[in-house]
Amino acid sequence: MTFTYKKVKDFDGVDSTTMILRKEDHAFIPFDEANKDYQDYLKWVAEGNTPEEAD
Amino acid sequence: MSSIKLKHSGGNGVIIAAPSSNPASDKTLTLPSDVDGTIVSKDSANSLQNIAGINGGQLSNRNLVINGAMQVAQRGTSYTGGGYATVDRFYLDYAGLDEAPTQAQVDVASGTSPYTSGFRKAYKLTNGNQTSGAGAADVFYIIQIIEAQNIAQSGWNYISSSSNITLSFWIKSSVAQTFKGHLKTDDGTAQIYHFETGSLTADTWTKITKTIPGNSNLQFDNDNAAGLRLVIVPFAGTDYTASSANENAWQGYSSGIFGGKDNTSTWYTTNDATLEITGVQLEVGSVVTDFQHRSFGQELALCQRYFEKSSMFFSTAGYPFIYQTEKRAAATVTSPDAGGTFALAGVTPSSTSMWVQRTGGGGQYTVHMDAEL
Repeated sequence: MTFTYKKVKDFDGVDSTTMILRKEDHAFIPFDEANKDYQDYLKWVAEGNTPEEAD
Repeated sequence: MSSIKLKHSGGNGVIIAAPSSNPASDKTLTLPSDVDGTIVSKDSANSLQNIAGINGGQLSNRNLVINGAMQVAQRGTSYTGGGYATVDRFYLDYAGLDEAPTQAQVDVASGTSPYTSGFRKAYKLTNGNQTSGAGAADVFYIIQIIEAQNIAQSGWNYISSSSNITLSFWIKSSVAQTFKGHLKTDDGTAQIYHFETGSLTADTWTKITKTIPGNSNLQFDNDNAAGLRLVIVPFAGTDYTASSANENAWQGYSSGIFGGKDNTSTWYTTNDATLEITGVQLEVGSVVTDFQHRSFGQELALCQRYFEKSSMFFSTAGYPFIYQTEKRAAATVTSPDAGGTFALAGVTPSSTSMWVQRTGGGGQYTVHMDAEL
């Protein structure tokens, strides 16, 4: 499955710099380099993709 | 003669005595012929120590494989497809298949050898129908990835060829053939060690044991990343095999030797062929010991370092949730029940906790916390 991503907002309403949402399964992925889902997200970004803006 | 006295030149000695009662028949105590050593040792208070270790390693926590008895299956007991989906810590991967296989946690039949050794669960693969035959790019394998720090701190002197680890497991195939497997390292320059099961008799449990030496090229960093991959390969096509692949020796890894030498394809080309595995143990030392059974609760806690499934109440206001077990890394969090109504209240999940919330009212939902390798 090809995943796409969307930004999420922090409590204060600004875009989170520590977490991203994987849209297809609504997975919240923390920015931890040991997390394999975050590693996949970084590869996706490196391929030239950009996450959707947060609501 | 009821005893033998090994006398010191000073006069006193050590007496080896016959048993205090008559055995039903002669019993044999066999001494090792290939190593020097002390069978009975003493501690600093000059008290006898019955057993200093087992297999040159520690007495407990010998098994480096988690969930080797296939007890824990948090995600479910049957799934057609790949990934971490049934038995915890065992990942199924494949490519090029015409029809997806089914993975399942199944019961071990009573009266079988693994059953009498205490195993009640097994990991079972049921092949799909590979109508186009054994393609060169087809590959199909089961894997458990062990954290690097667990190998680094295991007591295995992995850079020494005279220091060993021993792998053992039970396997049963519906088709008589030999299967391939390997260990592969991640740190430094990746290395691979291929082995074979030997020819299995159809529908018969067989215990496989492999003693694997260290090698000066091996590297395991003391961290929480992938360190050692234990892989069983039901089939790998010729894109992943080569005559240059070594059996029973370490060599530098490349994807072209992932499957070892050319694989037998009988199992792979048999529709609904099955393969079952249980009792997977990887231990420091050169001798296989009996499987170290752990309680369900112990095994579950070990699995929860990588994946935890909980049922919890969500509210629109949100509240903190502390994981049952600290995760290997900050966890990816999903709720298969709540789907898009599930949120994390703007707080990033860590390796220990998260703040859960649900839009559109509260309710009881399942949450998955995933920090797998």
